[in-house]
Amino acid sequence: MHAIVAIKQVPDTSNVRINPETGTLIREGVPAIINPYDAHAVELAVRLKRKFGGKVTVITMGPPKASEALVECAEQGADRGILISDRKFSAADTLATSYVLARTIEALMAEEPVDLLLFGKQAIDGDTAQVGPGVATRLGLPLISYAVSVESFDPIARTGVVHRRTERGIEVLQTTLPALLTVEKEIAAIERAPLPDVIRAAQYTPEVWSASEPVAFDVTKIGIKGSPTIVGKAYTPPPKKAGAAVKVADKGVAPTVAEALAKIKIANVVKF
Amino acid sequence: MPEKLMYDAIVVGAGPAGISAAIVLARGGLKVMLIERGRFAGAKNFFGGVLYTHALADVLPDYWDRKPPFERPVTEQGYWLMSPDGVVRIMHKSQHYQKEPADAYTALRSGFDSWFAQQAVSLGALLITKTTVVDAIRDEKGRVIGVRTDRPDGDIYAPIVIVSEGVNNLLTQKMGLMKADLPPRLIALSVKEYIGLPSKEIETRFNLSGAKEGLAIDIFGDATLGLPGTAFLYTDKQGISIGVGLLLEEFVQHRLKPYEVLARFKNHPVIKPYLAGGETLEYGAHLIPEFGYDRMPDLAADGVLVAGDAAGMVDALHREGTNLAMTAGRLAGETALAAHKQNDFSAGFLRAYRRDLESTFVLKDLKQYRRMTDFLDSTPHFMSTYVNYANEAALRYFSAHGLPKRDMEDNIVKMLFQRRSFFGVARDMLKLFQGMRG
Repeated sequence: MHAIVAIKQVPDTSNVRINPETGTLIREGVPAIINPYDAHAVELAVRLKRKFGGKVTVITMGPPKASEALVECAEQGADRGILISDRKFSAADTLATSYVLARTIEALMAEEPVDLLLFGKQAIDGDTAQVGPGVATRLGLPLISYAVSVESFDPIARTGVVHRRTERGIEVLQTTLPALLTVEKEIAAIERAPLPDVIRAAQYTPEVWSASEPVAFDVTKIGIKGSPTIVGKAYTPPPKKAGAAVKVADKGVAPTVAEALAKIKIANVVKF
Repeated sequence: MPEKLMYDAIVVGAGPAGISAAIVLARGGLKVMLIERGRFAGAKNFFGGVLYTHALADVLPDYWDRKPPFERPVTEQGYWLMSPDGVVRIMHKSQHYQKEPADAYTALRSGFDSWFAQQAVSLGALLITKTTVVDAIRDEKGRVIGVRTDRPDGDIYAPIVIVSEGVNNLLTQKMGLMKADLPPRLIALSVKEYIGLPSKEIETRFNLSGAKEGLAIDIFGDATLGLPGTAFLYTDKQGISIGVGLLLEEFVQHRLKPYEVLARFKNHPVIKPYLAGGETLEYGAHLIPEFGYDRMPDLAADGVLVAGDAAGMVDALHREGTNLAMTAGRLAGETALAAHKQNDFSAGFLRAYRRDLESTFVLKDLKQYRRMTDFLDSTPHFMSTYVNYANEAALRYFSAHGLPKRDMEDNIVKMLFQRRSFFGVARDMLKLFQGMRG
């Protein structure tokens, strides 16, 4: 079994402040962490490896500092970490990022077969949820987004059954392998890494791939050149106000329901 | 069952003591594991204060070339005696402080410790973070032969363990080297804020001529509500470290909330203008061990040495601790190296560490000030009485009210004895002298 997990190092947004003038994140002095959903994707990969044997490769595009995140994945049990890092990649949007990751994955698939591609469902700094699906599209692979559990996984028969969350409930999907999953946190609870893995990680240095070596990326598709996204305006949304409550005990059932319906009508949120 | 993890030495805690020990051991060619419970070395620390370079140079003679992340050299330092409405300043500035590298620098420990740990790693030590040592592993004779961590498959073996776990010395207690349950009169609590200010602003406010000048001030009196304790103010590159420290017992006894004491201090009319417009970027608290010479743990047992805060190596009177820790860590490392050479890890052999420490400033100073706590216990009024007196005497001395100088001088002397009887003053001074001389 060979799983590739794509991760992102993000500012710990539980700890972040917004510059009120520019509307951008103040990243200075904010600790960097592995995007939480991605950490659960790594955990799933490591568990499958423990069950079926094989290996886990973790890739990330980011600044040199993102190498730390790969070392943390090695602690979790990943075998190989690749940092795709070059000034030419900077200011990439989700289109450019999915291009770089897809090309990287292609190169890795040419080295050895891959059964599973794992992404977090979204990154907590951008919240787009576009990169995983974008990579699946570029590679022409089956995509299962918002995966919450793996019911079965058979690297020999090359099939798997995965549960995904939708607005209407849980979908149970059968897929061929390789497939690409973007995962929710409940996909695998993160366990404390055994000490021997932590020791191995402390001595591990992830590989670094540039824009030209070992994969020569198309310079028109990477970084700012490959990123057509324009951010019109960034702002802090006003906090949501609490909803109005109507108490049955005060007036009785029928008048209360009538009042509630009237309020909903005024708010114009539901068509009657 | 995974392979047994064997090292030549284990160091518990990557603070100044532990990192110093790891550097000595790694340079001596030993396979050393340095275990830290925080996310990185320094993560659990909240010290913004003064680092003395003499101890650092003894550990890392080429430290200057390794570009330590200091804040500012200390080029002016001293004491402020603070009354509720004023301050008497005893400050020292000298050309001597301008040399580079300087004797002392302000630093922030989160940055300094991670740099210091990286030096140990570059010399070959293995640094493991996010891992807590929960107990010692002993052989059938009770000798320590390793440690147990909180991770799966987390037992590690080594013939020597150096415990530099910091003030919260649970492992030291578990090993039976110190009685558990430290009374709150032997632990101080320091609360601190790091207040961001542009460097230009800091330099203007504190009269510094640039980034190569900095200030370290210890403040007594009203800053700690007249209670025995100290407040401090250090200038960093782009911020000010400011805080107050009191024995835990004082907080309990006077029902004080640490943050209220700090807020009160920050609003003192003398302090407030220095902080105006600054943004509090960090806030936190840390314990400081004030065990005293006579209540230190055993520093050596079979297979174990203890160094730094875990052993109470703090000289609170002179705001020293990191230099004691580095010196102790270095000596512990050297003793462990010698033990490896002799292949003798018995308590008897390891006691050489304590003898070495007794001949340095570390235990000499702790021994000299062994009665300081007793002094503060028996003269709780000391700070408020004499600090306020100094302020009022200064006010009389520097004011001209058409009073003959002789009368003014008599007034100042009289003022003192209105506060304390002649014998009271004599007794206080004798106690102070005894406290200082040991």
